[in-house]
Amino acid sequence: MSDAGVVRLLLFRVGTLVCAADAERVREILPRLETTRIPGAPPPVAGLVNVRGTLITVVEGWRALRQPEPPASNGTHHGTTVLLEVGGGRKVLGFTVDEVVDLLALSAEALDRRQALPGIDPTLVRAVGRRAGQLFVVLDTDALLTPILSS
Amino acid sequence: MDLSQYAELFLAESREHLTACNQLLLEWEKHPSGLAPVGGLFRAVHTVKGMAATMGYARVTDLAHRMESLLDLLRRGAHPATDELLQLLFRARDALEHAVELSVVGRERELEVAEIVADLDHAASRMAPGGGPHSPGGRATPSTPPRPDSPVELEPAPGRLVQVTLRPEAPLKGGRALLVVKKAQGLGAGGDEALGSGARVEPGAAGVLEGGGRSRHIRVALRRLDGLMDLIGELVTARGRLNQLAAERRDPAIDDLAIQVSRLSSDLQAEIIQARMTPVWQVFDRFPRLVRDLARELGKQVAFRVEGKEIELDRAILDELGDPLMHLLRNAVDHGIEPASERRRRGKQPEGEVVLSAARERASVAITVTDDGRGIDRAKTLERAKRDGVVDPHADTLTHDQLLRVLARPGFSTAETVTSVSGRGVGIDVVMTRLRALGGTIDIRSEPGKGTSFALRLPVTLAIVRAIIASVGSERYALPLTYVAETVEFGTVKTTVVEGREAIVLHDRVVPLVHLRRLLGVTQDAPPPRSPIIVLEMGERRTGVVVDGMLGQQEIVVKGFDAPAGTLPVFSGATIMADGVPALILDAGGLL
Amino acid sequence: MSHTVLVCDDAIFMRTMITDILAQAGFEIVGEAETGSQAVEKYRELKPDLVTMDIVMPDMGGIDAVREIVKQDPDAKILMCSAMGQQALVVEAIQAGAKDFVVKPFQPSRVLEAVQRVLG
Repeated sequence: MSDAGVVRLLLFRVGTLVCAADAERVREILPRLETTRIPGAPPPVAGLVNVRGTLITVVEGWRALRQPEPPASNGTHHGTTVLLEVGGGRKVLGFTVDEVVDLLALSAEALDRRQALPGIDPTLVRAVGRRAGQLFVVLDTDALLTPILSS
Repeated sequence: MDLSQYAELFLAESREHLTACNQLLLEWEKHPSGLAPVGGLFRAVHTVKGMAATMGYARVTDLAHRMESLLDLLRRGAHPATDELLQLLFRARDALEHAVELSVVGRERELEVAEIVADLDHAASRMAPGGGPHSPGGRATPSTPPRPDSPVELEPAPGRLVQVTLRPEAPLKGGRALLVVKKAQGLGAGGDEALGSGARVEPGAAGVLEGGGRSRHIRVALRRLDGLMDLIGELVTARGRLNQLAAERRDPAIDDLAIQVSRLSSDLQAEIIQARMTPVWQVFDRFPRLVRDLARELGKQVAFRVEGKEIELDRAILDELGDPLMHLLRNAVDHGIEPASERRRRGKQPEGEVVLSAARERASVAITVTDDGRGIDRAKTLERAKRDGVVDPHADTLTHDQLLRVLARPGFSTAETVTSVSGRGVGIDVVMTRLRALGGTIDIRSEPGKGTSFALRLPVTLAIVRAIIASVGSERYALPLTYVAETVEFGTVKTTVVEGREAIVLHDRVVPLVHLRRLLGVTQDAPPPRSPIIVLEMGERRTGVVVDGMLGQQEIVVKGFDAPAGTLPVFSGATIMADGVPALILDAGGLL
Repeated sequence: MSHTVLVCDDAIFMRTMITDILAQAGFEIVGEAETGSQAVEKYRELKPDLVTMDIVMPDMGGIDAVREIVKQDPDAKILMCSAMGQQALVVEAIQAGAKDFVVKPFQPSRVLEAVQRVLG
């Protein structure tokens, strides 16, 4: 994370969860793009999208985080694709979210270390924070996405 | 002057010279009394030395200098090659290569060269008659290694060391030494001097060169070409969209423009693909040395021949071929070629032959590795294949394909099956995986007692290929034309069942079928009654791919993608269709 | 007007570096040669104000190239670029008609100094 103990986080909602990712890992925020199915890929993989000539594998956020399927998710979805750097920036993956909530800069002390939360695998949680009285989880995006890609 | 900007160039050019050294040493080994190889070696090492000195790599310079000194003596003395000398020079070349590679990544200090340096110096001192060789300029021996007593202290300041030795019988030694020193100082040299038995002049270090610089060379970094290729790819995609648009608008002006843009982008694309083409010798040239060393180590006699060196392949493909070919050549020498005594017993020439050849075939290039060795023991491999369930337990022969499948089983140990020495299967799976990733295939032919041949088939370029766009349900897939033999319609040809697989009979041959719907798990809609069958052909193997429909042919730009875990191993990449949506590219090798 | 230079060396690396040093100082590099015979040919064709010449090159060495060029043009201004350990050859090159020499590894200032001397 960045200097002087300040963390910049991108907050987004997936199902009932408000999640955050290290903003330095966020390459781009795009609308939902048309995906091409990849036969054999695990269920959380939505498919391939074309981002200005580069092919990017997109992971369906609600499936990866075991959230209920969003109501409008048949055919043309609403929602947003967040491009995240994985594995130290060597790869870029798309991650679909219901909506982007906020971009926060806060001091690292304002975050609590990882803890068990109902409804989410604790190994995916790096820290927990609070915004406007609401809890959010800072995702360990590498832990979440690397197993999906590893091949 | 920032030297780091030249490091890449230094490395590339040094590598070229070091490869040349290998070729020259092999040539000299073949013709020990020839003089040309030594001259070439001297020039190559000399060039590396000059470049290394300029880069400030003192240890590389020192090592090259000592090698050069020995080569100079050999050259002047028209000394024939001896086994000992060749071994030493091969070792020195390898050490120099190592030194170059380490230096470029800033690890010059880790170099251990004391032993090879001592051996080179020792050889040079034995080679030099009496007080040393006569150089044209006088009695001095300018190529005597600098400071043999403390070579490792040479770093890191780049400089030139000149050691001038006066013969013991020379008159007026002191005066001569003074003249040398004066002359050297006149040339801008400073530093210490030791008069007496000899004079030592150590010019001030050249220091770090200053100032910036504009690089001006004809070499183009591969990533530049990749960048151009990506751009051209986008252009081709955009062209597709333009053509679509033009077809919808039916405006002659737009039509004309679309045609013109099409033509221009095709030309541009052809030019760039051409610029990426690289002759295979750039990879092949390292193998003569490898085969020689291996044969030597195994005590075998092997003649190695390379054919079709000028055949060109896309640089990106060629770069990936080194390892697989090395694997196959190792196998050929280690497991294929028999020892001379065994060959004699079998009425063969005592010297085995290994041939590496490249040839152009339609839109692909075939690279074969052939040996005239013992071949693969089919009976034993068959036994093993039955046990592993690769073939029917009642089968009494193995086809070439089945043989390959047995050999390519990961971790397949053939110690008991193939030869008494060790396995041939080792590594074939690695070779196959690499080839598949390149959209290539591998075939095997093996005759007991006569030899084995592996044929690799590769697309000429990875970047842009012509492909059939096939539909399956609502999905689209691209099938490169490289391996498409023909297309037929389901229902118009006779179907049959072979080994439990559905097949068609085409031109009196049985072609097994792959239903893409089933393979890819497409369930929507019902397949049309008369599905097209795309027949793929690769060497002797054929497969019919049953699709729902064919949407036409077009040029596609091949792109990689990060395949998630579990992705079916039948895709060689993906492309972007004219509407901007990705489509996966089916890999003929994976389907066959 | 800037002086024109022909750079002769069998190593691209060296040619690049010499070219950079000289171009930086305002010289115009009009050609490059990687063998002695190419150097002779290019000299005839380009008539440069200055030639930088490596000694060890394939095909025809630098010293023979100097002889050939001087035969064509006795006023040719040639600067030898030699590696260490070639002093004897440098003398030979000067006798053949080269004006001066610099020793690798190059220091830009030395190269430029030598070039100025040669151009007089």
